[in-house]
Amino acid sequence: MRAGGARLGAFVDRQLSVLFVAPAFVVLLIILVGPFGYMMWTAFTDLSFALPGHDGNFVGFANFRRLMHDSFFWDSFFLTLRFVVAAVSIEFLLGFAVALLIYHQVTRRRLVLTALLVPMMLAPVAVGLIWKLLLQGDFGMLTYYLRAAGLLGTDQAVLSDAPLVFPAIIAIDVWEWTPFVVLVLLAGLMSLPREPFEAAVMDGANRYQVFRDVTLPLLRPIVALVVLLRSIDAFKEFDKVFILTGGGPGTTTELLSIYTYRMNFKDWDLGYGAACAFMVYLVVLILCAVFHKAVFWQEGRVSAPAPEPVAVTA
Amino acid sequence: MSRAWRAAMLAALLAVLVVALTPYVWIILTSFKSRLDALADHPVWLFTPTFAHYPKVFIDKQYLPLVWNSALVASSSTVLSLVVGAPAAYVFARNDFAGKEDLFFFFLTTRMAPPISVVVPMFLLFTAVGLTDRPAAVIIAHTSFNLSLVVWMMRGFFADIPREIDEAALMDGHGRLGAFARVLLPLAAPGLAATAILCFILSWNEFLYAFILVAFESRTLTVGIPGLVTPHGTLWGQVAAVAVVATLPIVIFTMAVQRHLVRGLTFGAVKG
Repeated sequence: MRAGGARLGAFVDRQLSVLFVAPAFVVLLIILVGPFGYMMWTAFTDLSFALPGHDGNFVGFANFRRLMHDSFFWDSFFLTLRFVVAAVSIEFLLGFAVALLIYHQVTRRRLVLTALLVPMMLAPVAVGLIWKLLLQGDFGMLTYYLRAAGLLGTDQAVLSDAPLVFPAIIAIDVWEWTPFVVLVLLAGLMSLPREPFEAAVMDGANRYQVFRDVTLPLLRPIVALVVLLRSIDAFKEFDKVFILTGGGPGTTTELLSIYTYRMNFKDWDLGYGAACAFMVYLVVLILCAVFHKAVFWQEGRVSAPAPEPVAVTA
Repeated sequence: MSRAWRAAMLAALLAVLVVALTPYVWIILTSFKSRLDALADHPVWLFTPTFAHYPKVFIDKQYLPLVWNSALVASSSTVLSLVVGAPAAYVFARNDFAGKEDLFFFFLTTRMAPPISVVVPMFLLFTAVGLTDRPAAVIIAHTSFNLSLVVWMMRGFFADIPREIDEAALMDGHGRLGAFARVLLPLAAPGLAATAILCFILSWNEFLYAFILVAFESRTLTVGIPGLVTPHGTLWGQVAAVAVVATLPIVIFTMAVQRHLVRGLTFGAVKG
C-alpha cells in the first residue's frame, strides 16, 4: 500500500505538467471548442424552430450565400465597424489625455482612480439602465439639461431619435470604457524607465519633444494592447445597447451581436443564425491574430521595463 | 509651470470625475425617491428619501432569490475556474515544453470568444441534454471566460515568486505536488484572492449567457433587470433599487482588487 502510494506520488511528480495543464485544456475544449464545432455544423443546416420541416437538414453553403446577399447583415456589420472605430478612437484620445493629466498633476492617485473605476466595473446591463433613465424623454435628468441648454428639442428624445441614437450609444460606451484606457496607460506611464527622459532633458528637448520622441515610442506596445483589447470588446458589444434601444429605432443601432441575437432567438432561424455567429467569431479571431502579432510577438509579452514596477495605486 | 495652468488642469480633472460619477449617483438617488420625485418634470436633487422600493421589489416581487442565484453562479464558476486553472498557471509559469506559448495563446483566444457566438450553440446543446434554466448551465458558460482569466493572471503571480522557493521546498522533501500545494499556493494567496474577486465580478456582471441560458427559477440579477423596464409605466424607483443592489457590492470589491486590476484586465500584459 505504502509502496503503491509512493509510486503514485512519483508518477504525479514526473507528469506534473501534463496533469496540471490537461484539466484546464480539456474543460476549455469541451465548453468552447465543442460549441464552436456545433455552431460550424449548424451553419451548414436549415435548422429552425419556427419553420416546420426545417429540422437540421444539410444545406451546404446556402446560409453563407444568403449571408453574402443579406443587406441587413452587412448594414449591421458596417454599423458595428463604425461603432468600434468611433468609440475606440475617442476613448483612446480622451483616455490618453486624462492619463497624462493624472500622471503629471496628481500625487494622491488612488482616490482619483477609485472614482474613475466606477463606470467600467458596473454591470453593462446596469450601465444601459442608468443611461436609459437619464435619457428618458419626459423626465430624464440629462434630457432636461440638454433641453435647457438648447441642444435638444422639446419633442425630441435621444433614444428614439434616429440621427441622435447612434452617437448616443458611442458616447455611453466612451463614458463606460475611457477609464479602462486611463488605467492601463497610466500603469504604462508609471512603469517607464527614467533614463531616456533624463537623457532627453539633458539634450535640451522641450516637453512636447520629450512626449513625441520618448514617451510615445516607449509606450507603443501598451498603446497597441489597449486599442486592440478595446476594439475586440467593442466589436462584441451587446448588453447595454440591448437594454438601451434593443437595436432600434428601426435598425439604427442594431450591432452585429444584436442582429445575430435576433436571427437566433427572435426569428429562431438557427442555421442562418449560426452562420452569422460564425462571422462574428471570424472577425474577433482576426483581431486576436493582430493582437498576437502586435503585442505578444516581441519576447512573448510586454512586461514592464522597469526593474520594480510601481503599483498603479502608489 | 504656471499656477493658472495647474488650476485649469485640476478643474479639467474634476470635470472628468463629475461626469464619471454623476450617472451612478443619480441612480442611487432615484432608488430612494418617491414616484412623484422620480418622475418630476425637472431633476430633483434634494428630497425626502423613501425606503419603500427595496422591500417592494426584493420581497413582494421576489427578486431576493435572484441575488442568491447571482451569488451562487458567480462563486461556483470562480471556484471551478481556480481549481482547474491555478495548477495550469503554475506549469505555465515554471515549466518549458514544446508549444507552450501557442497553448497559452489558445487560452487567451477562449477569453476573447464573442459570447453571442458561443451562446447560440451552447443553448442548443444544453437544450438537447436538458440543462437549460439550471444554475449549472450558467456556471459552465461563465467558466469558459473565467478559466482563461485565472490561467493568465495566476501565471504572472506564480512567475513573481522566485524559483529558489521551489527548489528549497523540494530540498525539504516535498514532492513537486507538495511544493505546489504547501508552499507555492500559500505564497500566491494574495494573487489568488485578487483573481477570485475579479472572476466573481465578471460572472456577477455577465448578462448575455445568463439571459439566454436561464429563464425562470435560476435567473440571475442582471437577467432580472430588463424585465422591470417596460415601454410604459416603468417603476423607476424599483428598477433603481435592483440596479443598486446589483452594483454596489461590485464597486466595493473593485476597491479591494484595485492594485491588481490592470493585470487582470490586460491578461497579465501590463503589470500595473
